[in-house]
Amino acid sequence: MTTRGTFVRSAAAVGAGLAAGSPLSALAARKNQITDADVSKLYAAAKKEGKVVWWTGHYTQGAAEKIAASFKQKYPGIDVELLRQTGQVLFQRLTQDLKSNVHQVDVFASTDEAHMTILKKQNALAQFVPGDIDKIPKEYQHLDPDDTYQLGDIALMLINYNPKKLPAPRRWNDLLDGRMKDLLTVGHPGFSGYVGNWVVAMTDKFGWDNYFKPFAKNNPKIGRSVFDATTDIVSGERVLGPGADSLALERKAGGNAINVSFPEDDTILVTAPVTIMKEAPHPNAARLFMNYYYSKEYSTTAASTYNLPLRLDVPSPTGVRIDRMKTYHVKIDRLLTGIPEAIAKWRETFNV
Amino acid sequence: MNQATTTAPRRVERAGSFDPGPIFFIGAVVVLAILVIVPLAWLLWISIQVPDAGGVTVHNYVVAFTTSIYLRPIVNSLILAVSVATIAALLGTPLAWLISRTDMPGRKPLRALITAAFVTPSFLGAEAWILLAAPNSGWINRAITSFTHASHGPLNIFSLGGAIFVMALYNVPYTFTFVASGLELLPVELEDASSTLGGSAWRTMRSITLPLVMPAIIAGFIMSFLEAIAEFGTPAFLLIPARAQVVTTQLYLFFQFPVRTELAAAYAMPLLAVTLLLLMVQRRILGRRKYTMVGGKGGRRRLVALGAWRWPMLGFALLVPLCSVLLPYLALLATSLSRIWSAGPVPGNLTLYWYRWAIVDNPETRRAIWHSLEYGAIAATAATVIALLIAYTGNRKLFPGAQALGIVCMAPFVVPGIVLAIGIYAAYSHPPLLLYGTAAILIIAFTTRFLPIAYSNLNTMVAAINTDLENAARTLGATRIRTLRTITAPLLRRGLLASWLLVFIPAIRELSSAIFLFTPRTATMTTQIFDFSDAGNYEGVSTLAILILAITLVIVSVAYRFLGKDFMETKST
Repeated sequence: MTTRGTFVRSAAAVGAGLAAGSPLSALAARKNQITDADVSKLYAAAKKEGKVVWWTGHYTQGAAEKIAASFKQKYPGIDVELLRQTGQVLFQRLTQDLKSNVHQVDVFASTDEAHMTILKKQNALAQFVPGDIDKIPKEYQHLDPDDTYQLGDIALMLINYNPKKLPAPRRWNDLLDGRMKDLLTVGHPGFSGYVGNWVVAMTDKFGWDNYFKPFAKNNPKIGRSVFDATTDIVSGERVLGPGADSLALERKAGGNAINVSFPEDDTILVTAPVTIMKEAPHPNAARLFMNYYYSKEYSTTAASTYNLPLRLDVPSPTGVRIDRMKTYHVKIDRLLTGIPEAIAKWRETFNV
Repeated sequence: MNQATTTAPRRVERAGSFDPGPIFFIGAVVVLAILVIVPLAWLLWISIQVPDAGGVTVHNYVVAFTTSIYLRPIVNSLILAVSVATIAALLGTPLAWLISRTDMPGRKPLRALITAAFVTPSFLGAEAWILLAAPNSGWINRAITSFTHASHGPLNIFSLGGAIFVMALYNVPYTFTFVASGLELLPVELEDASSTLGGSAWRTMRSITLPLVMPAIIAGFIMSFLEAIAEFGTPAFLLIPARAQVVTTQLYLFFQFPVRTELAAAYAMPLLAVTLLLLMVQRRILGRRKYTMVGGKGGRRRLVALGAWRWPMLGFALLVPLCSVLLPYLALLATSLSRIWSAGPVPGNLTLYWYRWAIVDNPETRRAIWHSLEYGAIAATAATVIALLIAYTGNRKLFPGAQALGIVCMAPFVVPGIVLAIGIYAAYSHPPLLLYGTAAILIIAFTTRFLPIAYSNLNTMVAAINTDLENAARTLGATRIRTLRTITAPLLRRGLLASWLLVFIPAIRELSSAIFLFTPRTATMTTQIFDFSDAGNYEGVSTLAILILAITLVIVSVAYRFLGKDFMETKST
């Protein structure tokens, strides 16, 4: 709470867009926003439903399990059925489900905001505003002006590297250096929303040909998940690559030769969304769970598993606060066309 | 009770014991339609559909086969399958000869190891070989570079060559099994005649033995080719980093958003056509083999003395099981017992944590283990019962055209798992039979996929049963079903158990069709392995792999005890 003032000041410059964009949505938000009384009512109803089905592209399996466990601790009697997969794979399964009119997901947390816009158009999402929404950075409140989805996770795409083999890379262009040949590793935009975000960001900053042609020349190893880069560096298979912060920090804490470097030409900030499905089989448990996203317990558990906490009153695992980082955020309108383009161009350039 | 009121005794008996037989048999036909005919019909139908709008078109085929990005995978698949089949045949044939016809030491344990390779899903082999032979981090490469001080090791498992190597290893058992049983039937007299007439051992081999087992070698080649071209797991693990897309991984991409079932269906057709064609070729070849063997049986088994070559030959024979079983199992076991696998197998890293995680702490993996066993058992039971009913119906010619049902039973054999899954998805992901999202759709997939194994196994056994006992029972008034239950089935006990196992074992290690049909609620061990491998959780993957392998091997060895060593070999039909 004490830090909030400073945050708002620094964020104000960047954050003009989403939240302030539509005064009407602010009204809608108040209307849907959950109060403490609502929460206990939700809990009672959720207990009858018995469980919540949570599909998430956020976090590693282990971190997601810890968050599920912390929820169960706070709300005994409600089980969390967890599926952790890459964002694209989850979305593909979800669309396959919806096409077949199968409804089994309550809370869907993707790594790609574009998924939410598509689902929103299909009228598949329920409106919801968690009670503690004012505890997260102002510029990411009401990520969707209509509140059909909210910010679920902030992930960072930065450089993962092996500090025993290399000095910290400082800029994204360092990955293009000829000396990095056969040392790079990266996930696949067709499988991972974070990688998709990164590819779009690099394209926008440097241009496809300027960035990905030399990148391809350096013969990166291509995996599927964003975490493949981290795994490859930890195993010693490769030395550096664009990767997420969380798993790298977790592996570093485990004593592995890996570190993260915040590039001077911007850490890519990914706003990963979370939503409640309109046809959620456990609607009350779903709301209770999504409300939990902005609780202190959730942020603390996230930070303890090396993920950025959404709440500003919980310290981040690197000690660097979101509002102090030099970040670049690809907005949703750009992602909508950018990611499919990125996947197509990727297949052209890398054959896979 | 009615007997008293009726006058004609023969009619009485019929009326008194209503024969439910026809209902059972009609039921079997309906089930067969659900399992086989509907999905295949849907597959064809979808492939000529205009998506969402309806109407018939060839557009899907045009897109699938004129877009260059979709053509490359076809070429890669062909290279992969031909190479895998060739290498597997070249390794499997001498191995079969050494083990079944020579006095090489260690033949029995070698046979057991080859069976272990047979029941190991090749995608687990791929996962293990990543640990062993990733270019920089693989244990073998690291061991080598620690001597050579080269910048990276000589092996690169992330390559077309790497995928060929791994898949060939797990296909060796096909050629091995076919050739070994061929050699066991081989008339020794012919070889004796050759050597009596002064032919050298080499000449005898070249002009007598090899030509006689050639059909078996070709049959093994074809089986391996079909397995390789339809395999999904290994290419997904090894060929995405190798940047080589194959038909099956491309089919998987068609199921990414936006889901394009119609394109997938059209794209799958050549897979179906190639399989059909090759199986027809194989049928001809196998038919001919039977012809050459006429009168060939009964020769005394005499082992070829290898002399000084005994030990070098053992060295050669050990290579395949070393690479397909010993090293991979060791790598998976070591990883599953490591807190952090990249730290290597050092003492401080040793833990049972991941087993506790998989079996006790993690409800998802626990459920997945249970699902694998449950779906496998139900599918095995269903396939065995259906196969028995159809085999019985066909053999006893219960109604006109009954034998045609046998052909329907065998039809899934020509359908690669991944293609079958697309057909099943297309057929049952919407009303009237909305099964997507339920366990039923996976059970259908497993039952259908492995029905031909159960059928071909039971069909020969039913045919071999003398009908005298059945006729006696029927004469004494038993219904068809009662006869089947109390006479035929008990006589077939061993065959039924073998069929059950031959479906159960592949079902619990199935990935190619499960990957399209599962939802988290119906996840199996194999789909969990696929999911965890995405997040780089090698420890969890290895632990589940070891659990699958342990369960399978326990079942197989129990089966050996009860059924004898040859029960797996019926799989080769």
